[in-house]
Amino acid sequence: MSNIVLGIGDYGASDRPGSMVKTYALGSCVAVTMYDPNLHVAGMVHVALPDSKLNRAKGAECPGYFADLGVPLLFEEMVRLGCQRQGRGLVVKLLGGASVMAGNDTFNIGKRNVLAVKKVLWGLGMGPVAEDVGANYSRTVSLYVDSGGVTVSCPGRGQWQI
Amino acid sequence: MEPRISSDDIRETIAKLPILSPNVSRLLQVLSTDDYELDDVVNIVKYDAALTAKVLKVANSPVFGLVNPVTTLDRAISYLGKWIVISIILSDNTGELFHKPLEGYDGGQNALWRHDLFAAFSSSEVARLAKHDFEAELAFTAGLLHDIGKFVFSPFWEKVVPEALGHIEEGSMADYLEAERSLTGMDHAQIGYEMARHWDFPEPLQQAILYHHTPQQAPEEFRALAFAAHLGDMCAMMAGCDTGNDGMQYPLDDGYSEFFDLTSESLAQILLEAEIQFKKAISSLSVEEEVDK
Repeated sequence: MSNIVLGIGDYGASDRPGSMVKTYALGSCVAVTMYDPNLHVAGMVHVALPDSKLNRAKGAECPGYFADLGVPLLFEEMVRLGCQRQGRGLVVKLLGGASVMAGNDTFNIGKRNVLAVKKVLWGLGMGPVAEDVGANYSRTVSLYVDSGGVTVSCPGRGQWQI
Repeated sequence: MEPRISSDDIRETIAKLPILSPNVSRLLQVLSTDDYELDDVVNIVKYDAALTAKVLKVANSPVFGLVNPVTTLDRAISYLGKWIVISIILSDNTGELFHKPLEGYDGGQNALWRHDLFAAFSSSEVARLAKHDFEAELAFTAGLLHDIGKFVFSPFWEKVVPEALGHIEEGSMADYLEAERSLTGMDHAQIGYEMARHWDFPEPLQQAILYHHTPQQAPEEFRALAFAAHLGDMCAMMAGCDTGNDGMQYPLDDGYSEFFDLTSESLAQILLEAEIQFKKAISSLSVEEEVDK
């Protein structure tokens, strides 16, 4: 089966039939999924913060941690597996970016992550076709290689499709 | 709303909790003194052969990539740093407290440990940004202990949690803490406080546990520490290290700005630094657990 399980700051893609790419408990982090329905290539990155300027060393060590480095790297990985460099035909979805129940904006890192990811995607000529972001609950996300389907789950809230 | 669970039953469970290891009591007493030194922690470990062996095993785990093995306790402790050593002592001397699955919260095995460890590193990072003097040295330990109440509460909570989640989703209860109080007459912070009293924890830690969701209500002398634990808890949930169905279901008390100089950028730094330390601690401690199996 050979599923890929991503931790914080990891990215990966697979074209192996029957497998999936999965990440657990996003919190304020954002998962960007990319899927090529013709080639059946599925990829995901688990982004924790918007911008690698915050800590260049961490960016060098774990580029997927930051939106500005992780999203382009995921795209490169998709291209490596045969997807078109123009990004045409890739189905992109965004998940996560939740926030704690706060009255001020300081703690709204989830929202800043979503905005940063969108900005990078636009720079690559892409945009999400679907998103399940924000609110105040953590999400576990699975992307299936065969179908491109995205399943989201959360303790106490069950499971749903995006 | 009439509580569905008798608080007397919960208190009876707390009263029956086994006495904590003397190592833990001594450690917490040492940490709550103003001028403790690393030697004081070394002294707790060195008289316990099993604990000494574990500290050495963790220091020699592949995570730290040492070329030459560490063979003396002093070197191991100075190498690991006090936070990891404190984590080993607390994890190793509290039985199932941190590791048992929390069924009431849909939390798996070690969920509480992972949450508390991330919160602890975050709390100690938050403490660096304090505007005024406070027991900053206790912030790590307060973060590590803040949710102990869930250990006792979870089996009781399991019976009513579907109803609680329904109330929260439909908005008839504002947040998870209110749901706990409404349905059981108690909440996990209060239960943790009663456990801390049962075990005779130092007063600042008792208060930080009690007020970790309502730090503004803490007595003034313990308020900053309660806020450090509160913010550490929030950071852990944001990082996805929650204990299950209560993740991100508690309000932030923004009174923190009186005590900590926190901006969106410094918060991002805290999350980043806590994650680095957390990963290192989890990897080294799990190596130690695997060796034991």
